[in-house]
Amino acid sequence: MISGYLDGLGMVLQVGTLLAIAGGTLLGIIMGALPGLTSAMAIALLLPVTFGMPPVMGIGMLLGALCGAGASGSIPAILLNIPGTPSSVATTFDGFPMAQKGEAGRALGLAIVASFFGGVASMVILSLLAPPIAEFALRFGAAEYFSLSIFGLVIIASVAGKSLLKGLIAGLIGFFASTIGTDPITGVGRFTFDQLSLLTGINLLPALIGLFAVSQVLKDAFEYDPHQRLEESTHRIDIARPRFLETLRHWKAVVAGILSGSIVGPIPGAGGSIASLVAYDQTRRFSKSPEKFGTGHAPGIVSVESANNALLGGALIPTLALGIPGEAATAVLLGGLMIQGITPGPLLFDDQSGTVYGIFLAYLVANVFMLLIMCLGIKLFIRVLMVPRKQLLSAILVFCFIGVYGVDGDVFNLYLMLGFGVLGYFLNRYDFGTAPVILGLILGPIAESNLRRGLQAFQGDWTPFFTRPISLTFLVIAVGLLALTLWQNYRGNRRTESNASS
Amino acid sequence: MERDIGKPIFDLLLLIASAAAFAGAMALPDIEIVGDLSPAFFPKLISAMIFLFAIPCLVKDVREWRGAAPSGGSRPANRRGVMQWLWIVGLTVVYILLFEPLGYIPSTAVFAFCCVIGLLFASGAWRELNASQRVKSLVGAVIFAIVLAVAIYYVFTDLFEIPLPE
Amino acid sequence: MKKLLSTLTLAAAMVVGGSALADDYPTKSIDMIVPFSAGGGNDTFVRALQPLLEKQLGEDLVIRNIPGGGGAVGMSRAVASKADGYTLLAASNAMLTLEAMGNVPFKHTDFDFIAKVIEEPYVIAVGGDSQYANLEDLVNAATSGTTIKVGVSGVGSSAHIAAVAMANRTGAEFNIIPYPGGSEAISAAMGGHVDAVVLGGAELRSALQSGRLKALAMSYAERSDSLPDVPTFQEQGYDLTLTVWRGIAAPKGLPADVEKRWVEAIKQIVADGSYEETAGNLGTQVSPLYGDELDAFIDQSAEVMREAAGDLAK
Repeated sequence: MISGYLDGLGMVLQVGTLLAIAGGTLLGIIMGALPGLTSAMAIALLLPVTFGMPPVMGIGMLLGALCGAGASGSIPAILLNIPGTPSSVATTFDGFPMAQKGEAGRALGLAIVASFFGGVASMVILSLLAPPIAEFALRFGAAEYFSLSIFGLVIIASVAGKSLLKGLIAGLIGFFASTIGTDPITGVGRFTFDQLSLLTGINLLPALIGLFAVSQVLKDAFEYDPHQRLEESTHRIDIARPRFLETLRHWKAVVAGILSGSIVGPIPGAGGSIASLVAYDQTRRFSKSPEKFGTGHAPGIVSVESANNALLGGALIPTLALGIPGEAATAVLLGGLMIQGITPGPLLFDDQSGTVYGIFLAYLVANVFMLLIMCLGIKLFIRVLMVPRKQLLSAILVFCFIGVYGVDGDVFNLYLMLGFGVLGYFLNRYDFGTAPVILGLILGPIAESNLRRGLQAFQGDWTPFFTRPISLTFLVIAVGLLALTLWQNYRGNRRTESNASS
Repeated sequence: MERDIGKPIFDLLLLIASAAAFAGAMALPDIEIVGDLSPAFFPKLISAMIFLFAIPCLVKDVREWRGAAPSGGSRPANRRGVMQWLWIVGLTVVYILLFEPLGYIPSTAVFAFCCVIGLLFASGAWRELNASQRVKSLVGAVIFAIVLAVAIYYVFTDLFEIPLPE
Repeated sequence: MKKLLSTLTLAAAMVVGGSALADDYPTKSIDMIVPFSAGGGNDTFVRALQPLLEKQLGEDLVIRNIPGGGGAVGMSRAVASKADGYTLLAASNAMLTLEAMGNVPFKHTDFDFIAKVIEEPYVIAVGGDSQYANLEDLVNAATSGTTIKVGVSGVGSSAHIAAVAMANRTGAEFNIIPYPGGSEAISAAMGGHVDAVVLGGAELRSALQSGRLKALAMSYAERSDSLPDVPTFQEQGYDLTLTVWRGIAAPKGLPADVEKRWVEAIKQIVADGSYEETAGNLGTQVSPLYGDELDAFIDQSAEVMREAAGDLAK
């Protein structure tokens, strides 16, 4: 193994390879920071470039793009309240409030360092524990996926705003929207209105961009005040620097993020989008001061961002150890591996050549480049906030258009984006919140299709959902957390009532 | 507490929409696969739940609305906000309509220009400007719109190979 | 930048003389519509060809992923675009499947097929430690009352239709469970949540190589080099031949010289041999077909799919 790492090191520490990784990372950072452009697009764009390269160089470049995009999603989330991917939704919860207090630089500094820690830790876990974790992920059948999604839906309670009931309604709206399209089990069209674009259901990206970016633009448009001068802006550039010590002080949040990213991340098709939300939820629940979350609280940012880059390593586990990609980005990456002639699977880890170790080290190097580039860029990112409001609003909308149209060239999705934008604006204005809608949209299909797939496989028998150990565990935890939430809510209400009366 | 009639109206709309969704779900075909729930099961369940949960929200928001004092002073700011909001939504619809027929560069330039100038008008700031300031804003908006449209086009199509309508 | 320059050159060429445009095809970048998202079999196939084609044609090939509707959205877009050779489609069985299911407003006859490039078989596979050692065991179990759960990718996908066709030709009754995609179906089979999967050979390649899954049969007429140990359905006595093919198509009415240019380019790439290794790494094999032979092949495949889809409806 040591000799393997030495061989791998020899492959990584070459000027060409380092340059390729740095280039990939830079492209990933740029594309991840633009709302709507995804790491999958960055990797797909680089794929043909890598064909002529030796394996470690080519794969390192693709991993760089993955790593860079994973970290830079936090930039628009913090500065503008616009998450570019589902996994940076939770970054907005505390990142944006902190930026509004004039501490955008601090929020970015925390996010960058937390991403780096998450990425490095997940690389260590990937290289040591990939085969057993992959085996664990394989034990997820329909029943386990269903219970996982129920566990995930409980997070709605954590991300709901002032009213639990309204948060729940928002989650159900997302769930309902997810049933639109071809039914995944029988193939019947549901609410498709003969619209080709709706056959595969509502795309997550236009919904996400609409609910967060467009609704935020509409809010800014409503509140736009021409008399507000930029000179009064409270943003301080001098605090914009990477925050190693402060991040380390919140080590519990870092650990929560790494664990959640490494455990939930590898579950194909479900983990990627919820790992960071799970991290946020857990950090908040077990915090001594849960009421500070959502107001610009540092552990909120740290947990989410460390989870965000840890889940990339997590998602690489089934991709490398089983050849099963969890979502789009790793699917494109898998294509890259196979074109290079690297066959993923357990054998890859027993392989005596240094290639697999080279890949691990390349991923580590990508994280280092990510840290360096982000640290150099941090003062530049903040300047986005110096752009006058009306110009910024139109530029954001233009980027939203490019992001949504660029994925599939479908004008219908632009209407969908605007529709979700208007809906999101009112949901925010009337205390429903938009984060639960996204949760419903992501988890809804997992819950529904796996419940029905399970019932089909078990011939209509419900009991396996409660008797299979992993499934039962998730259900018990979900019920426990739900009870805890209701109890806290009840106590919180009593306290405010007694405050009001006294 | 600000008196906002929109809140109960939104609840009411939710109630109506969920009822309509339930009716739509009733019309879905019932297909029997051994053990499987019908494709209509979840849409029915979810729309019914939204309907049920929206009722207490409506009751609570109506009660709050009647209890709150009629809002006074913030009217002009509010009207300005609505104008600005409607301007952006309307402009976005036009942008979508023109996006493919006109192509990316012209539609974006028009959109960005109208967005910036429109906000000046809708917010009433235009009236407060003198002639030279007006010329300056117009020229600034034109330059901004063209740079935004053209620069982004070449960065995205050539560098990122993301196809945009020509 | 390349694009900007070529636009300028094109403008200049138009000024000098608007004729003879097709002769020097291509004069600007070519859009290649991939009707699936990045990372799928169709996408990887084209992206692997992209640099080679760009070298042959001397222009950029811009890949446009237009997923949605199981490929229907991208294909409708391709049908609706101008047949000038600057918008092409990465075509595959999915087109014939959609046509056979009757949900789309186009037919395969609305396209001009330029070339078939690669092929892979449908494979039925079971878990590596499954009790079913061969197809006969599986069919016997299924016919003697055991419910065999078979995972496929996507309801109404070509793999789904292939699974139904397999069930009908072998007389076995399968409980077919659709998963959202191939990787979910594979992990269900590896974890023992289904008894078998039916998927294209490329998707199954790494699982088969690592021994996590075991192939029982594949749907070529004869054994293939990519899976030399896997018997065909035909040699086990079942009349079933299906292939997953991928190639390039254009909207109907493509100028003959444009088609000729493309056929030459692909023939040259095949002759160079460098693509063969890539295709092999992806679990597919190069099996080029052009012109009338290709048209006959497509018509025949459409017929097979229509029959199989009829089976699905039963």
